[in-house]
Amino acid sequence: MTDNKLVSHSVRANLLVLGLLALVLGVVPGVLSFLGKSYYMQVANSALIYCVVAASMNLITGTAGLMCLGHAAFFGIGAYTAALLNTHFGLPFLLTLPLGGVAAGLAGVLVALPTMRLISIYFAVATLGVGEIVHVTLLNWVSLTRGPMGMQIYEPITIFGHQFTGLLSIYYVIAVLACVSIYLLWRMNHSYFGNALRSVREDDQCAEAMGISVVKLKIQAFAASTFFTGLAGAVLAHSAGYISPDSFQFSESILILTMVVVGGLGSLPGSILGALLLILLPEVARGLGDMRNVAVGVVMFLSILLLPKGIFGEVSAIEVARKLFNSAWDGRNAVGWK
Amino acid sequence: MKRLFTAFVVMAVLCVASTALAEKIVKLGYSLPLTGSHAQYGEVFRNSALMQLESFNKSGKLKGAKVEIDFQDSKSDPKEAINIARKFNDDDEVVGVLGDFTSTVSMAAGRVYAQAGMTQLSQTSSHPDFCKISNCQFRNITTQAFEGPFVVKWATGLGYKKFAIIAIQNDWGISAATNFANALKKDGGEVTSLEYFNPGNRDFRAILTKVMRDKPEALYLCMMYEGGALLLQQKHQLGIDVTSFGTSSLYSPKLIELAGPSADGLYLSTTFMPDSPEPHVVAFVKGYVKRYGSFPNMFAAQAYDAVGIMLAAIAKVGPDVTRKTLRDAVAATKDYPGVTGSTSFDPETREPVKGLARMQVSNGAFQLVN
Amino acid sequence: MDTYFLMQLINGLSVGMIYALIAIGFTLIFGVLNVVNFAHGEMYTIGAFAGLVCINMIHAPLAIIIVAALVAGGLSGIGLERIAFKPFRRFQDEASLKSRAMREATLLSSLAVSIIIKEVIQHFFGAEMQTIPGQYMLNNPIQVGPLSLSSGQFLILGSSILMLGGLQYVLYHTRIGLSIRAISNNPLGAKYVGLSVDKTIISTFAVGSMLGGAAGIMVGLYYGAIFPTMGFTPSIKAFVAMVMGGLSSIPGAVICSLILGVCESLATNYLTQGWSDMVAYSFLIVTLIFFPQGIFGSRRERV
Repeated sequence: MTDNKLVSHSVRANLLVLGLLALVLGVVPGVLSFLGKSYYMQVANSALIYCVVAASMNLITGTAGLMCLGHAAFFGIGAYTAALLNTHFGLPFLLTLPLGGVAAGLAGVLVALPTMRLISIYFAVATLGVGEIVHVTLLNWVSLTRGPMGMQIYEPITIFGHQFTGLLSIYYVIAVLACVSIYLLWRMNHSYFGNALRSVREDDQCAEAMGISVVKLKIQAFAASTFFTGLAGAVLAHSAGYISPDSFQFSESILILTMVVVGGLGSLPGSILGALLLILLPEVARGLGDMRNVAVGVVMFLSILLLPKGIFGEVSAIEVARKLFNSAWDGRNAVGWK
Repeated sequence: MKRLFTAFVVMAVLCVASTALAEKIVKLGYSLPLTGSHAQYGEVFRNSALMQLESFNKSGKLKGAKVEIDFQDSKSDPKEAINIARKFNDDDEVVGVLGDFTSTVSMAAGRVYAQAGMTQLSQTSSHPDFCKISNCQFRNITTQAFEGPFVVKWATGLGYKKFAIIAIQNDWGISAATNFANALKKDGGEVTSLEYFNPGNRDFRAILTKVMRDKPEALYLCMMYEGGALLLQQKHQLGIDVTSFGTSSLYSPKLIELAGPSADGLYLSTTFMPDSPEPHVVAFVKGYVKRYGSFPNMFAAQAYDAVGIMLAAIAKVGPDVTRKTLRDAVAATKDYPGVTGSTSFDPETREPVKGLARMQVSNGAFQLVN
Repeated sequence: MDTYFLMQLINGLSVGMIYALIAIGFTLIFGVLNVVNFAHGEMYTIGAFAGLVCINMIHAPLAIIIVAALVAGGLSGIGLERIAFKPFRRFQDEASLKSRAMREATLLSSLAVSIIIKEVIQHFFGAEMQTIPGQYMLNNPIQVGPLSLSSGQFLILGSSILMLGGLQYVLYHTRIGLSIRAISNNPLGAKYVGLSVDKTIISTFAVGSMLGGAAGIMVGLYYGAIFPTMGFTPSIKAFVAMVMGGLSSIPGAVICSLILGVCESLATNYLTQGWSDMVAYSFLIVTLIFFPQGIFGSRRERV
């Protein structure tokens, strides 16, 4: 590879990143506010939140190959932590946001410690159990979580005294957070760390023999993933203003899993596409009335039938990362931690 | 792309032109669960709403305009209900909104409606905080603060003082159970046990066996009619022979169909009496049976009146109704003659004031008792 | 120890029996054949609705209704296999067989099919619970001393034992059972020694879904509750019981179903019912910590 090519790669990578940023921070809100429909804005907000959730779940379920059937629980822990801290102690958004993430991350580590020994479907069922336990707790611990009454957050998102009340400004808060989290997750996915996770997924005994601490790695991945899910939960709580245990039950976990699988297990751009598809599709299909869920089912079925490795499979994702970013990140020379 | 855009413009112009030529259209939104686990209630709401709407448009009470209802499926999911709320807020033609079914969902959407000053009239949300969201929230259901004491008075009059309460673990169930328990204690009665069960539970044998250990004189059931039917059946099978009282949500012909003879003897309070001789109730029941082939239940009646109140308010303002004028007109509703009794909204709290009646199931039918 | 606890134990066992009834068919497909199938709950629903249609159309005796449910379950099982599983067997190369994305593809295809089935049933029958004629209900009280049992409990117990015994016999004493186990262990190897993979998988699906359909109508008549989303909760519990029992062991799944049911019912005694699910799931996690392969799991080759 000549130096010339290296430069063009890095330019192309920068252009791609800039283009995506411009799309998320400029074009989309621009077009939406031009249309002047708060409905589109609302859908865009929830789509972005789910992008973060799906991308973070992809780290454990896709890259590390640990099928998780209780991811909504961590989403819920993040949301409830933020809501409780805000309403009971009056903490500002800038504190509740990271604390929501930290709480979910801690819960993730707590769950990961005893369950890391489990493989494949046993792990999946253990996380299903954890998800149900969290849901039942949110529903029944009425004195803390107000149970099925749900929690209201009256204070709008406030950063340094500036209140974000309009949907457009909330969109920007979510968008910035989503960009940062997805960038971090992308770096984790395509680095020594991500490759180590992939080796654990393919053959954990072999990875262990090559000197990778499998359990430590899995726990790190779990902590990172649940942390970002918790952040998304905290943002959901603040932007929606109302949360209830119903939003964090088993079917929600399945929805998140579906996003990751439709998009392509192990592929971060894929899970983002999957999240967009599964949030936008039911809204687009509204015109079909009672049959709209059938339409969602049919699209899901066709997508997996025709593209069983996902809309944007792992191989393509790795290729993109190699082609565009390897040189930009100076990854060619990077063997160990960088 | 350009051609598509022109096509859109042409279509939009055509639409505007056609509406300008025809009668003016007044639009209402209805956010309700048409799919998912609560779809059975949404279907009933839509049935009633369509009936009420048709007869209203035929009656010519609103001269020079026609009312339309835009039904949107919320799947009983707060996330979707918020999207729908934004959608209705955006649509300048929508002047008022009905729904949603559960309080959780209605309240999530309620804050959004409040921002746009949109009237939200729910047929069923009985969460104590629902009407406190803003001055735009109304409901056509008496809160449990009213129903609980009513049943207590009735039951203590019949000599039942020791109650076991079985309630569904949701916002409505909690408020129904606590209101009943408080009223009972005030009247010198005793609550032997208070058991909540998770929504979706189908097996009540363990709960029934447990509450019967404390030997209550009667049970008070705070649940929907489907759960109630299963509970009554299992109670019968377990050979438990105590009187049961229930909330008005148990009133549905389906309860008797599902539970069969096990339902006999159940006492319940209700706002809707299908056997009432009043002509408008007879007309509603007859029309509903003719159109949908089944008897209306409490939820059908509740939605029928909610839509009726909204339409009456529109008729009062006239075809130039706006969100603001509609809200004021709905708030001023007084003695609306509905099938669930005459309804007025309290000017301060916007809570509905209604009469309740007493019913008992005997020989496989609901009978009014005095 | 009075009759109260005995009664609660029986309540728990009867709930557990229902989970077991579903878990048997589920384990055959998911655990023994090792195919990720999330549409088993819908086979259960289809069986219940087929039986109900039979009741309303021809007023047949119970035995015929159960046969109808068996047939409906079996046919829809074959259909399910054709639509949601067969297309994914077109990739037979080694890379696809090892790829995780490929293995988990059937999870999604079966999930999609289950959504479609549920919505279509709801479209035709409505979402509410269907009315069942009183004489068909399996809920007649039977008094045994101070205990109250019901006719449905005996039917469910009897058919669970029958299904369990039959399947164990088929799996361990017949050729077809041998080929099912061979294919679950190593599909490629089974193919090389001349087994017809397609045929075996289809017949397993047919049998598993037949059992699911029969379970649907029996439980539906026992509770008097037949509605489009009826398969969801019990199939989660069956799934949990299957994994707790060690995935490939049908007796293990049955025993763990009973444990779950008894856990729930005895927990109701000390906590409100809302928390009793938590007890069952905590039990699951504790079990998995101490028995990472399930209680009755054989040391299967690591996958």
